[in-house]
Amino acid sequence: MRWQRGLWLFLVPSFGLMTLVLLWPLGYAAYLSTFDYHLGSPGMHFVGLANYAQLLSEARFWQSLWTTIGIALGSVAVEFTSGFALALALYRLTFSVRAFMILLFLPHIITPVVATLFLKWILTSNWGLIDATLLTFNVNPPDWLGNPIWARICVVLADAWIFTPFVMLVLYAALQTLDQAQIEAAKIDGAGGWRIVRHIVLPSLVPVIVFTVSVRLMDVFRFFDTIYVLTGGGPGTATETITMYTYQLGFQLLQVGKASALGIITLVIVAAIIAAFSGILQRGYGRSS
Amino acid sequence: MKTRRLPYVRNQTLLFAGLALFTFINLVPLIWAALTSVKNPADAFTVPPTIIFEPTITYHREVWLDRGFVHYLINSLIVSAGTMLISVPIGSLAAYALSRMPQRRASPVLFGLFTIRMFPHMLLAIPFFVMGSFLNMIDTYPLLILALVAINQPFTIWLMYSFFLDIPRDLDEAAAIDGCNLWQTFRIVILPLARPGLTVAALFSLLLSYNEFLFALVLTGIRTKTLPVAIASFGGEDVSDWSISAAGAIGIMLPIVLIMLFVQRHLVRGLTIGAVKG
Repeated sequence: MRWQRGLWLFLVPSFGLMTLVLLWPLGYAAYLSTFDYHLGSPGMHFVGLANYAQLLSEARFWQSLWTTIGIALGSVAVEFTSGFALALALYRLTFSVRAFMILLFLPHIITPVVATLFLKWILTSNWGLIDATLLTFNVNPPDWLGNPIWARICVVLADAWIFTPFVMLVLYAALQTLDQAQIEAAKIDGAGGWRIVRHIVLPSLVPVIVFTVSVRLMDVFRFFDTIYVLTGGGPGTATETITMYTYQLGFQLLQVGKASALGIITLVIVAAIIAAFSGILQRGYGRSS
Repeated sequence: MKTRRLPYVRNQTLLFAGLALFTFINLVPLIWAALTSVKNPADAFTVPPTIIFEPTITYHREVWLDRGFVHYLINSLIVSAGTMLISVPIGSLAAYALSRMPQRRASPVLFGLFTIRMFPHMLLAIPFFVMGSFLNMIDTYPLLILALVAINQPFTIWLMYSFFLDIPRDLDEAAAIDGCNLWQTFRIVILPLARPGLTVAALFSLLLSYNEFLFALVLTGIRTKTLPVAIASFGGEDVSDWSISAAGAIGIMLPIVLIMLFVQRHLVRGLTIGAVKG
């Protein structure tokens, strides 16, 4: 149409900025990943793909990958069961829904660093709320953040504390779009509450669920604030995810080349997840907007 | 009728009670921090935990005035406001253009933006830091603002796109017939109608930059440190500073609660589109 001539100019500021600030550094990271480069030392040595080869043959890399996957599966499972239960409960409740929404949403909306500190003060040994309560009853608590197994569980629960509200909200929004006539018909046919959930509600939520699961999976590969504050990747490397390992390499050991290579590997993994889910994702997005 | 009413009331009461209990337990960490922030150390370190005590606001005053948190608050406000003031205008422009394009051309772009939103931020943090060092821009506001605007763009564009789509194209065409050029159409006719969208986009963009941690951690130093970085380095380890850190953490949280009360009606839209945790 005539009035639309020159419309593309409106895209220039935003896309120009993104090219400059996102794509250019991304290219630069790919470039850096082929060098043996320590920040602060003068020399840069071109090493080709040696950084990648080194990472892929390294136990610490694989361990961080498995830790990431373990945390991802654990937290997505917890978030879905509790998020779905909450969404259903709010959907059935006929009053004060908004007040509950706001209160339940607080852990998600507050600064992640602050939310994690709140949890840390509960979990701290001896003086944390849990330990102080247990010691009152002469129960000897485990060292929540110092024991590798418990530390992993704590990280999963911390992620779940922060992200369950998000899952709850998305599922609650999807429940609002359910076909009421179908549910009424099932009720008249004598279907009980659980069977309605199992055979009508869940199947119609599948696209939204897949969308949310994939978003959360990709999020775990960027998950940083909570682990940084809660355990710092420890004890040892028990909760060191890929992102934490990249941070250690780049900003503690200053091995910028190797850290960039690890970043690129992470990008490839995330891109694979996006590709695998892309069809469903596009539909999910169409629906939620 | 009466026989059907009774189980309804009972079910609703049970549901309410269950949710109330869960909500309370879920918020215990937050309530505990709020209590700690007004406790004297003698009350903070006790077995069993103290619930009844004489409250004090000494630590709230100390953390903001004596420990420099006012300075970090100012940094946070500069960064958040700067990000919002750049991000929302350029994002709205792009979103408007996309909303007026044929769907088949706009949707690959929108999907591309979604992909960008999923970038691992750590991958960007490394080159940002290296380039920032070369340009001598570490610990300056523009570097952090630029980074935050860029990662904020996909979300802002998505959100504004959904608002612009709701405005019928007939208006654009009518404005064009009346002699408006594209810019005038956008500025005079469309933008005022998208005002609710602009408010939501602005508040979410403030929220994202106020909460952001990773880029703030690696790109700021003593001068431009923001609140999340300050509280993370402050409240992590030292148990003796507990009341002070708790006071800081609660203070950081309060403006967010206010913003949330403003955007609550739009939460669903905002969050399902981009998830605030950019």
